[in-house]
Amino acid sequence: MKIIIFSLISLMLSFSALAQEEKKNVIYKYKEYEVIDLGSLEIKGQIMAPGDLTVNERERQSFKRSLLEKNNFDFENRREIENLR
Amino acid sequence: MKYLALLIALVVAADASASAKGAYELYQKDKSKDRDKKIAHELIEGSYYFSAIPYINTYLETNNEIDKELEADIETLVIKTGTMAVLNLEEKRLESFNIPSISLILGTRLFNKDQNLKAYEILSRIPDSHQFSTEASLIKGTIRNLERKNIEALNLYEQCSKKAGNLESSSKGEKLKRYYNYLKETCIIRSARVKIEEKKYEEALVIYEQIDKRSYKWPYILMDQAWANYYLKDYNRALGLTVTYKSPLLESYFFPEAEVLMALSYYNLCLWDDSLKVVDHFYEVYQPKAQALKDILGKNKSSHTYFLDLYYADTKTREDLNPFIRNLITQTRKQVKFNLDLASLKAAKDELLLLKRLKNKNDFTETLEGNLDSTISFISAKINFYIKKEIFTFINEIHKHSFSMFNLKLELLSKKRDDIYNAKALAESTRARGSDVNVNRKTSQYFFDFNGSFWADELGDYSFGLQTACRENKVAKK
Repeated sequence: MKIIIFSLISLMLSFSALAQEEKKNVIYKYKEYEVIDLGSLEIKGQIMAPGDLTVNERERQSFKRSLLEKNNFDFENRREIENLR
Repeated sequence: MKYLALLIALVVAADASASAKGAYELYQKDKSKDRDKKIAHELIEGSYYFSAIPYINTYLETNNEIDKELEADIETLVIKTGTMAVLNLEEKRLESFNIPSISLILGTRLFNKDQNLKAYEILSRIPDSHQFSTEASLIKGTIRNLERKNIEALNLYEQCSKKAGNLESSSKGEKLKRYYNYLKETCIIRSARVKIEEKKYEEALVIYEQIDKRSYKWPYILMDQAWANYYLKDYNRALGLTVTYKSPLLESYFFPEAEVLMALSYYNLCLWDDSLKVVDHFYEVYQPKAQALKDILGKNKSSHTYFLDLYYADTKTREDLNPFIRNLITQTRKQVKFNLDLASLKAAKDELLLLKRLKNKNDFTETLEGNLDSTISFISAKINFYIKKEIFTFINEIHKHSFSMFNLKLELLSKKRDDIYNAKALAESTRARGSDVNVNRKTSQYFFDFNGSFWADELGDYSFGLQTACRENKVAKK
């Protein structure tokens, strides 16, 4: 039994040592250049935006200033009492 | 006739002297807690009303009971000296006395301090049958009016005008009659104002017709009527009413608000140039004068007599100082309070002269003279303050309306720019100035042509006949 365990462990160690050696030798290669022909590309879907540029028409903004209103006579009424006695 | 007048004067003087003597005896011998009350009564009997004030005040400071005699004395003092009667007493103290004269003074004082709830409660203590209930109804109506409780306000104003009318008929003195007439008309005008606030302009205008043209209140209602016509879109009538203030008879009545209303009326008739002229005139006339008045106020703000002296100064001195001062003083002279205070000042001075003429001088008469001197100084300072306050209010009014005019000017410039864009200005330059066709008239209204001169009987009935320059209105008319 001891012999089997020992041989298994030694086997595993030898495999990991081999794997480390293989990692070191990996070489990545990329394409030096690639040509994409956009004209020949096909995109599936629907056009949502209008073809030409548009601006919504709206009325010119006019600012209404508050002009004098006479909603009550509080000022005059109060003054009349003050001037009574 | 001369002898009779002399005899009456002698009798009055003798009576006054006797009462002063009676008061002196009480001052010397009486040590009871009612001494001050008795001295005050003796002085009032002798027509020394202002001299009696300190004794009444001292008594009320420490005593809670008011008998019938004292109630009558306080009432006499209120009639003869106004609010001075209980001047030294605080509101808390006055609240504990439940007699009509004190309730009226306290209610008025609280109203002027914006304590409306308390004022209403105090004024409600005055019985309806009492002569002071007329003024109480007016102030209570004003409180309800400010609270926008219009139905209650209208009821109170109506009660006030009825009571004042009855008192006017039953009063014997000319001054008293005039005072009750003033109260009656004030209450009628108040009812009309409530109608304007409720946007019932036609009804308001009918109520205003009750005020006689000769009335003291009449010049003031022109402004109200102009506003009612303005909201009825009768801008020509509004212009006619506001232009009335330019008549020589109403020279002293100047309202910056009238200028704003005039400019607004032109604006609503789309007559931009006319409106702009009014706006520019406002800035040219009112602003420099307001600044001059402000300078006068600033220089004399700590003086207690400057403005009163100005009142006594001759017309030329006032005119040289500032033309508005003369007009302001004239307008102030027409206020009831000012006249009452001025009458009080004169009466207090006369009383002091009477005291100085007494043969038997003693420490009591000296105390009376000292008190009267202080009272006279107080009334003088009060009148001085009143005039100062009137000038201050006027300056504030100008500033307030300058802001309205500024907004209107911006609006006018904007409208003129639009017209230039629409090439409308050229087309309007040849418009006619006015025509009878554009005058709206009711059966109760007169109409007079204005030919550059004012006629007293025509005042208040002028209407312009300007055609509107507003495009949509013209189309509608066609």
